[in-house]
Amino acid sequence: MVAEGILIAPPFVAARAATAGRMPNQPMDEARFEAFYRKMAGKIWSYIYRMTGDSSAADDLMQKTFFRFLRSNPVIADDDHLRRYVYKTATNLVFDHFREAKRDRAVAIEMPQSDFRADRGELRHDMARVFGELKPQERALLWLAHVEGSSHEEIAEALGVKAKSIKVMLFRARKRLGALLSKKGLAP
Amino acid sequence: MMACRFEPDAIRAAASGEWTSSLRTHVASCADCAAAAEVGPWMEEFARVDDREHILPDPAVIWLQAKLTQSNVIMQRAALPITRLQIASYLAVAACWASLLTWKWSAVQAWVASLTPSRMVMASASAQATASLSVSFFALVVVLSSATVFVAMHTILAEE
Repeated sequence: MVAEGILIAPPFVAARAATAGRMPNQPMDEARFEAFYRKMAGKIWSYIYRMTGDSSAADDLMQKTFFRFLRSNPVIADDDHLRRYVYKTATNLVFDHFREAKRDRAVAIEMPQSDFRADRGELRHDMARVFGELKPQERALLWLAHVEGSSHEEIAEALGVKAKSIKVMLFRARKRLGALLSKKGLAP
Repeated sequence: MMACRFEPDAIRAAASGEWTSSLRTHVASCADCAAAAEVGPWMEEFARVDDREHILPDPAVIWLQAKLTQSNVIMQRAALPITRLQIASYLAVAACWASLLTWKWSAVQAWVASLTPSRMVMASASAQATASLSVSFFALVVVLSSATVFVAMHTILAEE
């Protein structure tokens, strides 16, 4: 892998095994990629943007996500496996982004508030600020669970943790968000 | 551990305010559902609140860039043995130069010293032979110079 810090396990071994005998394992062609990209790119961008709070970082990391996706020579397995792989890659890249920011210390570790300007609406501003106060892993957990509707197994795969830990982690993240919402007077 | 199967219902009920008594009873006794109901509607609203407007890159561009990057990686991988060979060649040539100069250092020093104009005049006046180096030494110098130029040219041409 080229100079991007993290290594990802070969992505589609499971997919190949799962689809053996069901579907031919053809490499993804451009048309197929385009269809997949159009379906996923917006969601991935939103996910990265909510995680980082920085639209240019979201642009950059989303492109890197799809570069890595293509570099892994995806085979046409079922979309669910491809989707999981893309989320896992995006999550790893976002965490790498935070690690690099922490190392550099020149970049703010927390979500840059400048991108969530008040003139875009107080509500959005407040919501983004509250979400930005959570840890990156908590943001990922909550987004994947509530917005993407991912299962605990899918979240575990994306975050690289054990599936049985997700229940507790998710509970804690929810409690922390609940506490923040109460503190800011935004609780329902 | 699996998520509680009532979680989606609890989130939906919390968002709409339409609670059934059984669900309310369940949420009162299930910490996971209570936590999910507490933040679920907020998360949904947060996801609905529109992101800043953005234009996603064209998939054809992503595809092309990825393919170019992939080709570069393949090229770099293919060029790795050549690069290693080049480094080995440089080291070999440098080692040969060092060996040759070490072996003939005193003769080279004497020869260089004899190249001053006064010595040359004195030598010609007294018909004395100046310090000289063997033909084989000069042959080796020529061979090593050619090897150095060859290795350097190979590197330059390979890069181009």
